[in-house]
Amino acid sequence: MAVCLLVTLPLEFVFRARVYRRARRAVAAVTLAAAPFVLWDLVATSAGHWHWNPRYVTGVMLGPLPLEEVLFFVVVPLCGLLTYEAVRALLPSPGPDGGARRQRDERPGAR
Amino acid sequence: MPAYTLATVVAVALVVALEVAVFRTGLFRRPAYWLAMVIVLAFQVPVDGWLTKLSAPIVVYAPEHHSGVRFPWDIPVEDFGFGFALVTLTLSLWERLGRGRVRRPPPSPPPAPGPGG
Repeated sequence: MAVCLLVTLPLEFVFRARVYRRARRAVAAVTLAAAPFVLWDLVATSAGHWHWNPRYVTGVMLGPLPLEEVLFFVVVPLCGLLTYEAVRALLPSPGPDGGARRQRDERPGAR
Repeated sequence: MPAYTLATVVAVALVVALEVAVFRTGLFRRPAYWLAMVIVLAFQVPVDGWLTKLSAPIVVYAPEHHSGVRFPWDIPVEDFGFGFALVTLTLSLWERLGRGRVRRPPPSPPPAPGPGG
């Protein structure tokens, strides 16, 4: 997960994903998206759909879930968000709200 | 249908319905969304493959609760629905939350004058 965060961190700066700069919106989106999936995870765990190999987790538990599992629900949506915004910043898509990026160096009439 | 399989199908359907019918951000019409999902998938395969490999599994799935179809390697196919739903819901919410700042909803029309006004 640390690798996921490290790999996607440059997207914020190099490709101007600007997700961390819109932190409140990012926190809201990730929290609202993660909540139902954490709930699903809690139900599935208690129903015995899956469990974690004690050899490979730290053993730190947040309720019935390992710390790693809870962090998963923060890291994965966040990395997905960074990927999406980086792709959007790179694609030349003049969509309905893609007009934020104007290429100012292309002056009309410049030779 | 095993529980995890059923839950995954329901989750994907709910997320898609939420985006198409409620949030209506136009996410599914954006090439950036599909390209981002392909990139996410490309990372999910090695990471999830490592988490679920049967030789030394980190996450252990009860065989009676999923379809038993594991591809590629030992990844339960349901995981892809789970990941798709989680990331799509995040992006749909992100777009929905961002819209309020860019475009304000149109002001409500003034009440129509009554007859004889």
